[in-house]
Amino acid sequence: MTDGWNIVVCVKQVPDADEVSIDPETGILNRADAEAVMNSPDYNAVEAALEVRDVVGGTVTAVTMGPASADEVLQVAVGMGADNAVLLTDRAFGGSDTWPTSLALARAAEELDADVVFGGEETTDSSTGQVPPGIAAHNDWAQLTYVEGLEPRPEEDRLVAKRDVEGGYERVAADLPVVVAMEFGENEPRTAGLHRKIYAETDFEPVEWSAADIGVEDEVGLAVSPTQVGGMATAEPVPREQEMVEGVEELADHIVEVL
Amino acid sequence: MSTDAQSGEDAGPEPETAESEGPTMPTPQTETPNYDGEFDAIIVGAGLAGSAAALTLAREDKDVIMLERGNSPGTKNVFGGIMFTPRIRELTDFDDAPKERFVAEKTFSMLSEEGDATEISMQPGAWKEEPHNDSWMVLRGNFDEWFAEQAVEAGATLITETTVTDLVREDGAIAGVETDRPDGQLHAPTVVLAEGANSLVSEGAGLADPQHREDVAVSAKEVRKYDRETIEDRFHLTDEEGAAIHYFGDGAVGDAVGGGFIYTNKRTLSIGVVYSIEDAVHDERTPDEVLDEFKSHPAVAPLIKGGRMIEYSAHAIPEGGPEAMPDLVHDGAVITGDAAGLVLNNGLHLEGTNMAVESGFQAGKAVADALAAGRTDARALADYEDALADSYVMDNLNHYGWFLDTAAEDREFLFDDLPKALADAETEYFRMDDDSKTRHTKSARKRVVSAMGGYLGAAKKAWKYRKLFR
Repeated sequence: MTDGWNIVVCVKQVPDADEVSIDPETGILNRADAEAVMNSPDYNAVEAALEVRDVVGGTVTAVTMGPASADEVLQVAVGMGADNAVLLTDRAFGGSDTWPTSLALARAAEELDADVVFGGEETTDSSTGQVPPGIAAHNDWAQLTYVEGLEPRPEEDRLVAKRDVEGGYERVAADLPVVVAMEFGENEPRTAGLHRKIYAETDFEPVEWSAADIGVEDEVGLAVSPTQVGGMATAEPVPREQEMVEGVEELADHIVEVL
Repeated sequence: MSTDAQSGEDAGPEPETAESEGPTMPTPQTETPNYDGEFDAIIVGAGLAGSAAALTLAREDKDVIMLERGNSPGTKNVFGGIMFTPRIRELTDFDDAPKERFVAEKTFSMLSEEGDATEISMQPGAWKEEPHNDSWMVLRGNFDEWFAEQAVEAGATLITETTVTDLVREDGAIAGVETDRPDGQLHAPTVVLAEGANSLVSEGAGLADPQHREDVAVSAKEVRKYDRETIEDRFHLTDEEGAAIHYFGDGAVGDAVGGGFIYTNKRTLSIGVVYSIEDAVHDERTPDEVLDEFKSHPAVAPLIKGGRMIEYSAHAIPEGGPEAMPDLVHDGAVITGDAAGLVLNNGLHLEGTNMAVESGFQAGKAVADALAAGRTDARALADYEDALADSYVMDNLNHYGWFLDTAAEDREFLFDDLPKALADAETEYFRMDDDSKTRHTKSARKRVVSAMGGYLGAAKKAWKYRKLFR
């Protein structure tokens, strides 16, 4: 592989978690007031994709599925250094749950002849964590989930990952093509350079693909989504016991007492 | 999002080459273009002054870029207050602007520490008619975002989360900016500094002196949320009517030179105090404690009872007047808005937003003219300073510039003795007892006159403050 890997990174536009409120009556998320931002673990996914590219060469293509305005998250990825971007946009995608969503992303990754597909471990607006494994399942590719660090081995066409497991970590090698779900906060996402950021937000335009472009027009949308929300409930926060102490020494005494 | 783009015959990209069956492949955009010299002007800060300059330049077909440190325009601004809108109304489709209420009623209230209050309230009928004396209560977060959007729609570029840290000079002239981002220099023939009250770039680059603390005020403010009905009942408002109440005296901010305010928004109240940093340094109380004491004054507490605090913030306000203003025009750069010290605070008038917009507009015009003439040195940009000098901005600043110094000299009288004497006088005047009204009046007059230092003192003070009302 002389010209490096085709790296795809899936990103998603979500409402800013700091600004989302929950309607206490209906339990439904009130997203209207919240600004649309890139899902936070996706920053780690983009950074990991760029780091792998820096080692093995090749290109990083950012992909998102959403309305035309979702190109803002592609601008973020391109600003950070992604080489290009694809926006999957089509009314047919509307109402898709994780099954058709991962199918569309899997087909897009296939079209892009991906060697590695990155995603964040989960999204802050639905937290299923199902999409990266779904992409792997649809394409019958290997998957590495809850990844803390990566070691590319281009000469073997393999990617070695350090995975978070209960009580420690494990190192796993996967043959390409492989889908990687990055854990939140495991690397330091790079700051976009000024000129790259200006380029991404002004002159750059992603390529747009419709459902028909990737041959999934009959396999996406609300009708083919197996998930149905049965109901919503909000949990009352449990009041925490509080106590004011006068100074550091008293606090230390209390801690010793409890221990 | 356009639905048309996806529904027509040409929805979806067509394959470009005969051999490929699939969709259009993205071509790698790995090379980053260099934007040095691509913009005619760099605007530092997308607040009111910055957006007014950007909008004006964009309308003149100039390529402008606004660099804003917040994640959206307005997030760094502490101002829930009155927006004076004559120029903005000319520049934009103001009906669409996110506004809260127009000022239908203005009240000046003098508070003593002992809990007394004396108020003058005015609600001229003309204020209830368009354009409402160009005075609107706004929430700056929403308003600034909208105003910046007007500039973007006119063709300006807005880049957020980018802090300008320094200016770039070439042969002594300002030729661009340095930012906190990697690859962070950007060159352009002109720079409009609209960075706000905390003008670190202008100061760091030697264009402005660090401000003296007696020339800076501190403001602590909170925004509280209520039912719309609660606000309208408490302040006797209907529809879009709003009330602005200014408070003075040591019941507002103690011995400091300054005051408090309440502004009514649709569903929130902006409650705050403003006083000089010089006083803040000598005061044992922190700004939030000063705000708390103001809020608990018996004349204030019932107006703001209940509700939920949704925002708390503190901010610096320049108020050094004309003498504290930096040179506004430099080779390749102009300074606008709060960064230029264009704020008027004399007790009767508290204005800054209108002058920020006016200075941004005048700067934009002057920069566009200079660019058209192919010169961006200080002499070519001098029209900005001249236009400002000819406008109400410098006229007002010069006219009232003396006030704060005078008020500082007289603080004991203005903020302590006078409120108390007025309250005592009212008590006397309206006292219900066995004495005659004539006696009450005499006694009331005595209280005020003695606080003023006798009839001679009162005459001297009347002379001293005459300009305030001219």
